[in-house]
Amino acid sequence: METRSPSFRPCPGAETLIEITEDDFCPQEIIERAKSTAAGAVVTFLGTVRDDGLREMVVEAYPEAALAELDKICNEAADRFGLTSVYIIHRLGRLAVGDNIVLIVVSAAHRREAFGGCSFILEELKSRVPIWKKEIFDGGERWVGT
Amino acid sequence: MKIKVRAFASFREMLGSELELDLPDESSVQELLDALASLNPRFCSEAFDRSGLLKDYVLLMKNRKRLDRDSMNQALEDGDEVAVFPPVSGG
Repeated sequence: METRSPSFRPCPGAETLIEITEDDFCPQEIIERAKSTAAGAVVTFLGTVRDDGLREMVVEAYPEAALAELDKICNEAADRFGLTSVYIIHRLGRLAVGDNIVLIVVSAAHRREAFGGCSFILEELKSRVPIWKKEIFDGGERWVGT
Repeated sequence: MKIKVRAFASFREMLGSELELDLPDESSVQELLDALASLNPRFCSEAFDRSGLLKDYVLLMKNRKRLDRDSMNQALEDGDEVAVFPPVSGG
């Protein structure tokens, strides 16, 4: 039986939004913006502060470099997975347990491209974008990953 | 020439978020780091190993582009912005 591979067409016209902000965001609002008649799939990743016994988390960025890198990742993902829209919002500043940290919403014609694109963006963000998290405990603090 | 240094995360806590160093013309990235190390003993011990080599976890950018270890002898220019930071951990 012949199977067809999904078409990961370049999508230069993808709608994108990239933000690094101290403000909280509403995932549902972004999901609504990502919906379109060209997209049959919207995939969302929402990262939140896990309760690992910490009192709070502090998020810091090199904003100009982080925005430029997110922009590159966004374009790479849109091209590679044929996404119709990409929304990335990363919080900065002091966050409490349960707070939103990062939101990635992508839309595509089909689920495979949308899941692939969302996962690609998250992994690239975690390895390339100059953003750092510090965990503050009652008895101390540590920069994540160092 | 004046070089702007921006430090982030643990290195910001040692060096401050932004400082400007006045270096001789055509100083290299390595010479900039040596100047930072002589200004700040804590940065020196955290960023360099005992033989004076920059530790692997110290990451650098020049004018917002990543610098690899082969570029340490690259000459800087007046007004360059060099960033120093540990591995990223966003997301």
